[in-house]
Formats: sequence, structure tokens, C-alpha cells
Amino acid sequence: MIDPLSPSSSKDHTTFHTLTRERAFRHPPSDRSDVPALDQLVAPHIESFNALLEGGTEDGRGLLAIGIEEVGEKVVFDGKENDGMPWGGKITYRIDKIAIGRPMVPEKDKLSVERRIFPSEARERLTSYRSRLTATIRWRYTGPDGESAEHEEIKDCGMLPIMVRSNRCNLRDLPATELIKRGDESSSFGGYFIVNGNEKIIRYLIVPRRHHPLNIYRPSFAKRGVSYTPYGCQIRCVRPDQSACTNTIHYLSNGGATLRFAWRKVEYMIPLMLILKALVNASDKEVFEGLIQGEYDNTFLTDRVELLLRGQKNWGLYTGTQCLDYLGEKFRVVLNVPEDWSNIQVGGFLLQKVVLVHLPSPRDKFRMLIFMLRKLYSLVSGATCADNPDSPQHHEVLLPGFLYGMIIKERFDDCLLAVKALIQKDLRENKAKDFKNPRYFTSVLSKTNWDIGNKLSYFLATGNLVSPTGLDLQQTSGYTIVAEKLNFYRYLSHFRCIHRGAFFAELKTTTVRKLLPESWGFLCPVHTPDGSPCGLLNHLSHTCKIVTASLDSSQIPALLSAHGMTQVFASTVDGRRMVVVQLDGRIIGWASPAKSKQLANFLRRQKTEGDSRVPLDMEIGYVPVTKGGQYPGLYLFTSRSRMMRPVTYLENGKVDHVGSFEQVYMDIACTPPEIEKGVSTHVELDPTSMLSVIANLTPFSDFNQSPRNMYQCQMGKQSMGTPSTAISKRTDNKMYRLQSGQTPVVRPDLHNHYGFDSFPNGTNAIVAVISYTGYDMEDAMILNKSAHERGFGYGTIYKSEIFDLASAPGSARRSKPTLHFGLGKDVKPEAPWRSFLSEDGLPHLGVKVKYGDPLCGYIDEIKGWTRVHKYKGDEVAYIDEVRLLGSDVGDSELQKVHIKLRIPRAAVIGDKFSSRHGQKGVCSQKYPTEDMPFTESGMQPDVIINPHAFPSRMTIGMFVESLAGKAGALHGIAQDATPFRFSDTDRPVDYFGEQLRMAGYNYYGNEPMYSGITGQEFSADIYIGLVYYQRLRHMVNDKFQVRTTGPVDPLTRQPVKGRKRAGGIRFGEMERDALIAHGTSFLLQDRLMNCSDYSTAWVCRTCGSLITLGFDDVTGDKTGRREYCRICDNTLIEDKIGEDDKKKVGMLVKGLNERKGEMDVVAVPYVFRYLCAEMACMGIKLNLTVT
Amino acid sequence: MSESQQDTRWQSQNPNPMAPRPSTFKAPDVLNYLCADCGAENGIKSGENIRCKECGHRVLYKPRTYRIVQFEAR
Ligand SMILES: [Zn+2]
Repeated sequence: MIDPLSPSSSKDHTTFHTLTRERAFRHPPSDRSDVPALDQLVAPHIESFNALLEGGTEDGRGLLAIGIEEVGEKVVFDGKENDGMPWGGKITYRIDKIAIGRPMVPEKDKLSVERRIFPSEARERLTSYRSRLTATIRWRYTGPDGESAEHEEIKDCGMLPIMVRSNRCNLRDLPATELIKRGDESSSFGGYFIVNGNEKIIRYLIVPRRHHPLNIYRPSFAKRGVSYTPYGCQIRCVRPDQSACTNTIHYLSNGGATLRFAWRKVEYMIPLMLILKALVNASDKEVFEGLIQGEYDNTFLTDRVELLLRGQKNWGLYTGTQCLDYLGEKFRVVLNVPEDWSNIQVGGFLLQKVVLVHLPSPRDKFRMLIFMLRKLYSLVSGATCADNPDSPQHHEVLLPGFLYGMIIKERFDDCLLAVKALIQKDLRENKAKDFKNPRYFTSVLSKTNWDIGNKLSYFLATGNLVSPTGLDLQQTSGYTIVAEKLNFYRYLSHFRCIHRGAFFAELKTTTVRKLLPESWGFLCPVHTPDGSPCGLLNHLSHTCKIVTASLDSSQIPALLSAHGMTQVFASTVDGRRMVVVQLDGRIIGWASPAKSKQLANFLRRQKTEGDSRVPLDMEIGYVPVTKGGQYPGLYLFTSRSRMMRPVTYLENGKVDHVGSFEQVYMDIACTPPEIEKGVSTHVELDPTSMLSVIANLTPFSDFNQSPRNMYQCQMGKQSMGTPSTAISKRTDNKMYRLQSGQTPVVRPDLHNHYGFDSFPNGTNAIVAVISYTGYDMEDAMILNKSAHERGFGYGTIYKSEIFDLASAPGSARRSKPTLHFGLGKDVKPEAPWRSFLSEDGLPHLGVKVKYGDPLCGYIDEIKGWTRVHKYKGDEVAYIDEVRLLGSDVGDSELQKVHIKLRIPRAAVIGDKFSSRHGQKGVCSQKYPTEDMPFTESGMQPDVIINPHAFPSRMTIGMFVESLAGKAGALHGIAQDATPFRFSDTDRPVDYFGEQLRMAGYNYYGNEPMYSGITGQEFSADIYIGLVYYQRLRHMVNDKFQVRTTGPVDPLTRQPVKGRKRAGGIRFGEMERDALIAHGTSFLLQDRLMNCSDYSTAWVCRTCGSLITLGFDDVTGDKTGRREYCRICDNTLIEDKIGEDDKKKVGMLVKGLNERKGEMDVVAVPYVFRYLCAEMACMGIKLNLTVT
Repeated sequence: MSESQQDTRWQSQNPNPMAPRPSTFKAPDVLNYLCADCGAENGIKSGENIRCKECGHRVLYKPRTYRIVQFEAR
């Protein structure tokens, strides 16, 4: 007989694909990854990182190479004037090459057989997964006797964290079998960094779409200065190395316009005319014709252009050279350019660095600025509307790799500037004697800090961006997140989440959070958290792709010209008849609206047909001419970072990729029956394309009320499941594991597609909807005790305990270690420690520990004693794994251990469970099986929920799941629960009801049931079926908080707060109000006084002061102490005794009158005494009236 | 019932029993740690470098104890 699980056999008739799955588990593919669909989901992360080193441009260079070219040469002069060189000799230096290796064992280590380092080692040893970064620096000296040879030095720039499974990772392209061999999961897809053992992700961030000018109406613009108005036109330009620079044209009420940009976080405004002239030496006529475009009778336009031109006259700058000279003079210091540059050179440099940086040619820049100004005028006149900057139409994604590259580039720039600063300092202090000696520059290099890897580690570990330029981004922190492996749902959604930006989180208005129709198909409308990040933290739909490759668009202009586009250099363009044609923010021509629509259709046909000149991922944004709508034109995008998604093009039935810009003006039918003849051009591949991976996994979500699906997206991510298939190789701080996970009977198709069977997330449960015993009210659920005993919802928590002797008390810093793991001679053979720890000081595996038990022991060499590190958790735990962690090179003795503790967590009363329909509840009782109700076939429910959970929540999907699950279980089939598969004519009730009927059950899923207590039949039939239940990680054992007495705050003597510190729960003002309202004053007294900071204090009956207590030791008949008021008593004496008597010694007898200054004991809250003391410090007296 | 009778009865009820634990069983003197990469056993003495003697890997696991770990079944 052939083994049905051998890799060659392929028969699998089950709908659960049990054999296929089991085969995949036993024989993982050796030629590809386990689940290729998962690799697709994280591809933008990895591809954007890969682009740093290869394939950044058409010529195959990486983005880093382009970046350092952009950084360019730096120049330092020694300032010693000599003939022909007014600034003296100079050193010119630049970075020539950047190289990033692969993570390898250091050269020092001679013993390792495997030289590569794999991510699993970084995780296990709690280090970073990184490789060496080096830069080649070239410099030469130019003196009076000419130029010296170019010198070169390779500089070590530290260890750079590497993205797992990128082109610098040792796991790149490894098949599943190899991944397992290297201690990873068979389906691990990478896309994250490992920093100090944590998996860190750079989160996608929404940024304005590049190379598309936006008309913006923003009242805050008017506050920027005199005559500023709320109107502006903004464009985000991106250089070839993916770093950005935003330009804004402001409309001024005096007819002028200024261009705003930021340089090193400082904003500058330059009159636009100055720039237009400086760019191409434009004459006034040229500017006038460009802006008017034949609309001579448009007085609105002509008036403003006239004012603009007249305004320029005030500057007295007439030619382009004059303008450049002027700009250069003003910006020389700011730009930090070489001293020997002329003003004109500096001016040119400014235009190149900050004005429309995506366009290299000044003529293109000029045309674009003119276009932007025209667009701005049309906004002011009301001919077109302002663009919505919150709309996904005008968004793109900041990709992790590109951001990483931008930071690296900037750090290199910083290093070069630091070198310059150091040389200049040396020159000032006259230390740079041998300036021209190549060895001098080498010494300067060695004195500057080039540890860029460390800076990037900091960025990944904290998410804080330290940047002198700000990188044209709006936030300085929150760029990275930890990829928590709580369960697979959560882990996966980290890679698909996309954030709007920290800036918008603080905004009081909710407009940015709105779900806009423009986001259809790109952002999941369901999968967003509720609460503060709602609508800001979105998730990409599962079909949404992000363009990471650079597309070849060089043929497009010629292609369009050949098909009737008016070329860009045409002498006259009629602005009323023609609309612009732009390619990636460059004006490539003009066409009439009808013609441009034709061109758009032509391009779409070509790209879907696979024309090599028109890339499939090109976006063809045809904006039609409307009244008061968006500014018309044909906008083509081939740039990176855009969101694209596949749909079917109806004209030829082929797959087309559409972007978020063009989609707004397209007619895409959701399903084939919805196609409207002559209107629809596209149809969705599947109506579920608009949902994220997680939202897709909610069965029959189209039957649920929408918020319930949102809740399920949240709860699916916090259920106990299967965090990893390589648990023994993981060192996460805390991991939740469901021991008895099952594959759901009812699941959508995508469950198989994305391989979720490897990561079960819940259990199939028989659920009866019945009000029984009363323990199921208010969302509580009754658990069958026997189901619980069979392992329903049984979970485990793994906690990591890391103990490092280097940071233990008594360790010797920066010398040979004096602490060693082990049990010394002072620990006697019968010592109780020895039942936990073995001779090596490490715990026995499998031993049970409770609070205060030793986890590991170490010997202090100097003091000669043995100490132990104790377990501080409240729960009983078992030692699961003990790891002995070596050093990077493996040349040190044991100093650090990782102990994995296993805490069993069987389901208990108070633990939270939920179905996949946002129906959460806590277990209120584990009911004995003999008392549970039963059906005629003898079935008992595992879970009982109350019927009241349904009417207000309308989670019909759960009913359908129950029905489908029951039928599936009876027939032994998996049920497809993909949403939008049923309709009013083809109802799920009929489909599954028929299946139930065939199995001999009630068509509607109801069954007669009998009370488990009386054995009598219920008068109503009970809806009973099979529902997949998740156990949520919120467990009472982590939550319960009780105290009678306990720690108090030292200052106020009130109970401390916080569960961790055995604190109490605040009994606040509103609770106080309730007690007052009930008239339960004794209870009030008890809570707020006796159980809080009850104290007694002495108070003076006369003056009412709490803080004037004095003591006297009294001897005689009333031996003891006598308390008196230090104020009242003294004044009494002074009153009684005259001025003269005061001088007499012995006359000063206190307490002549016993009744005055008498003290009483009162009960007051301790904080009140504290308040009195604090008030007294400020000279305010508090009096109590004692009666 | 004699002791041998008990044994045969036990064996008939447990057709595939584990080999009885030898009474002379003793835990080894030195605990051998297991390499996280190649799985080789490594006798590491106190103060020795933490690395596999076979392959040079820098993470070692402590093996499960030979002592009988028994808990009250509840
Ligand atoms: Zn080894």
C-alpha cells in the first residue's frame, strides 16, 4: 500500500484538505516557500529594502548608490591665500561606494563551521540581525601646485540591521525545508528587522501622492504673513533616491505668488517670479503667455498675471542671471556651499536642490510651476474646487525600505559634514599643520563617529527619527512597531497595516478618520480598530499591491505624440480648449478633453494587452472637464509607492491594475451582473477584494451588522492561537498558545489560500442558543464542564525570564566577570535550592516553581557566596527551556541565560471567549455535563449563550455559521463561508437547511431539547449548531484585583494604585456621590476613611490648629506627657506675665491656665494633615472648629 | 497473588510496555548541553566558553533533567 502521506501521492478528496495539509507538514516543499500567497502580502516590505542595493533604477544601481551621489562632494579650504587660489588649498572628498554584507560570524571567530548567521540565532541570543556596512571614501588635495592623486579609504560604518528575507539576508529565497533547517518556520516570510531579539517592523505610512500638485484651501495659510490668503498649491516631489521635498505656491492677495520650501527644517518663501526668471531666464511675455494660454478675455486671470508681473518690477531684477545672483547671495550661508562658488552657481544649486526636485531640467520645472500657478488661479476664481488632501486619491505609501535608505543617506551626509566641521575646527585652532598630507585626512576620518549601524539600530528599536532635515515627514517618532506573535492574525496584520501619521492622531477634527469612497478596494473598510486610532490605522485590502519597482515610461511621450497629443513645446496652446498631459509630474503635452480620453483608453488597452512600452502598473488618471470640480487633465503615474489593485478590464477580459487616483473616474462593477452596458469599464475580480485578509476570514460577514465585523477583526487579533510553528526556537517575552486549536468547519476560501490551517486560532464548539439557569445573562456563557475537561480552550502562556550576570547586583563592570553561574560550597547538599537548581546554577527542566523559588544561582567570586535569582510571578510555572547564551564571537563564559517558563492556563470562570462575529462573553460557570440540556440524539452543547445576544446586535452571520457548521459536521465537509456568495434568491438558509434535512435534522437548525435537571422537554425548540469559538487572551488571572490591607503611598498614606503593586481600585468622586445619594454614610465613612488613610491628630480647642502640637513631660501625680498648643499656650503666658517679668528666669511656666490651649484628639484623613502642612508652607493657616 | 503472577497480568494488560527502569540507574555526573544548531552534546565546565565544540554555535540548551519530576495530579 502506498503511504497516503508520501509526497508523491496526490489524492485528497476531503474538503478539509487534510491529506494535503498533513503532507505539507511532513514534507515541506524543497523548491519554494510553503505558502507563496503570504510572501505576496509582505512583498512591498522586502522589495523596498531590496531596492536599496539593486534595481533602484533602470541601470540596476541601488537607491543607496543614487543617494550618495546626491550627497555629492564636500569641500574644505585651508584659508591660506595663495596665487590663483583666494581660499587657499582645498580638500575635496566624497563617498564613492557603500557596501552592505550579509550577517556573518566575525573574522575573529575561527571555530564556527557555519559562517552565516541566521535570524533564529539573533532571536535566541537576543541580539540584532545585522551585517557590516562599509563606505569607500575618496579624497584629493588641490593646492597651488595642482591636484594630488585621489586617495581612498574603506571606512567601517558599524553593523546595520538587515531585513529578514531581503537580498542581504541569509534566508533569502530559501525553500521551506531550508527555512526549517535554519530554525525558522516553514512559512516565515520575513519583512521585519531583529533588534535585541525583538522583531521590528517599519510601518507603512500614508504620505501625499508624489508629483501631483494639489489645490489646497487651508485657513492657516492666511496666517503665514501679510497679504497671504488661504489658497495654495502643493506638490510633493521625490528625488530618484526616494527622498522628498515639498513645494507650495501661496496665492497672495496683492496678486503675487510665493514658493515655499523647507531646508533643514527651516521654511523659506521666495517670490515665484524670481524663481521663474531664474530657472529659464524667462521674459515677462513668456510668463504672461504661459499663464494666460490664450484666455485674453479672462479678466480675472489677466488682472492677476499683470499684478504678478508688476510686482516683480519692485525687485529691480530683470534677467535670469540677476535673479540667480540675488538668490545665491541670500542663500549662500544657509546652503553651506563651497566658498569658491559664485553667487550664480549657488543660485543654480538652490533651484536644483529644492525646486521641483523630481524634474532635472529647468525648462520642465518652469512649465510645471506655470501649470501649478494656473491651477491655483482656477481655484481662487472658483472654476475648480480644492483637492481633498485626506482622500486616498492623493495618497501614496512611505515604504519601509525607502525610509531606511533615506535615513542611511542622511547619516552619511552628517558624517561628511562632521568631517568638515572637525577640519575647520583644527584650522581655527591651528592644529591642521599638514593639511595637504593624505595622512591628515585619514586621522580626521578616524576621529569622527561613523557608526551608522548603531544609529539605525536606535531608529528601529525606538521608532524615533533623529534628522536635521526631517526628511519632509510630519512626525519624529512612531515609525516602528513590534511584530507581536500573539497569534498569526495579529502577526500578519502588522505587515498590512498602514498609518495616516502621528500628526493626525492629535487632530481634534474627525475628517481625516472618515471612510472615503476613494479608498474602495485599497483600504479595508472593516479592519480598523475602534477607539483612538480608529480610521487612522487602516489595513490594506488583501489584493492591494504597492508598486516598488521602477517602471520604464520612456516611450510614453513619443507614443502619445504619435497618437495625437500636442507636443509640449507647441508655440500656442489654447487653455480653454486643451487640457494638460502629465507623466509623473512632468508636462509632456496638451490635448483636447476628448482627445485625452481617447489617449487614456488607448493606453489602457495597450497596457492590458501587454505592450512593453506601457507598463501594467502605470496609472492613467483621466480627469474630465467639470464645472467646479477637480482640475482636468490626463495624469499618468509610473512612479513607485503607489497603491494598485487588480481588476478585470471588460474590453478584453484581461487583468488591469488600477490605482487610487484613476479609480475615482472609473466605473468598476462589483459583480458581473452589475455591469452596466456602456458605463462599466471594469469588473472586480471578486467582491471580497475590498476586504483585508483578516476581515475576509469572518465567515458570512455580509450577514452581519458592520460594527460587529470590526469587533471581530479586533478580537481575532487578540485570541489565543498558534503564535508560531517554531515555538521552541522563540524567545518572545510573552506568548499565548492554544493547545487544542482546530481548523474551523466553516471558513472562507482564503483560509486555505493563506495557509491558516498551520495556525489554528480557536475551537469548534456546539452552541445552543438558550436561556438556561440564568448563568448566561448579560453576555455570559456557560461552558460544559466536560468539554472543558476534554481540553476546550486549554491554553498556555510562555514567559521569558532573561538573566544577565553583567547587570546583576555585585557584578564587576568592564573587567573579567566575577559572577559565575553555579552553586557554591556554601549551598549544602540538602539545601532546598538544590531541588530546583543543578550544580551549574541553572534550573532543572520541567521543575515547578512558585513565587520566591530560585530560577538560577550564581557564585560571587569576591564575596565567596552563592546568590539566587528568584521567580517573582504570582502563578505557578514550569521551567520549559533553558538557553545558555554565548557572546557574538563565542569567546566568553556563561553570563546570560534565557529561561522559558510555561504557565498552564486552563479556562476558568471569568475568562473571555468570542465567536467570529463580534460576540464576546465571559465564562460564568462550568456546568456539570449531567445538568446540561440534551437533544434527542443525545448531543449536549459545549457552550450555552443567551438569545438576548442577538436582537440588538443583528449578527445573522453567526446563525448562518451555526447552521453551516452543523451541516458540515454532520456530512464531514468544510463549508465555504466566503461573504457575498449568497443572495436573496439563493438563500443560505435553504442551502444549509437542505443539507441538514438530508442528514435527518430540522431544516432550520432547531431541535427539541430536554432539561438536564428535570429531564423534561422544553416547550420551545432550541437553535443548536456548531460555531467556531476563540479564546481571548484577556484572562481573569491577569486581571483580578483585590486587597484588604496592603501597601500605602508614603506621602498620603492612602492605598497605592495598580494591580502590579497589590494596590486598590479607586473609589472615586462618582462612587462617593452614589453612596451619598443612598444615604449610606457609614459605608462612606468606612470606604473613604477607615479603609483609606485613617489617622488621629491633636487639634487645639482654642485656635483650631492641627500643626501646633507641643509636648511636656510632666512628673508628679499625673505622670506622663501633657500636650499643649504651642501658639495658644505661649500667648497666654505673654498675656499674663508683664513685660518686666519676662526677663526673670523661672517665671516662664507654661500652662498656667489648664483650660486654654487644650488639645483634643480627632480622626482626620492623613492627607488632610499633609494638606495643612503644605498650606502652612505658603503661610496659609487652616482652622478646625472643635465643638 | 505472587509477584510473578502480578507481572504477567500487568504485561497482558499493557501489551507494549516501556522497558522497566533499571534500579541501578544513575544520572550522569556532568550534564551535557545540546547545541542549538547541530544538536551535539557538549560537556561545558564552569568558566568554559559557551559554544558548541562540534560546530562552534553560540547557543546551547540545557537538556531535560534525569530526576523524576512528578506533580500531584489534580
Ligand atoms: Zn553545534
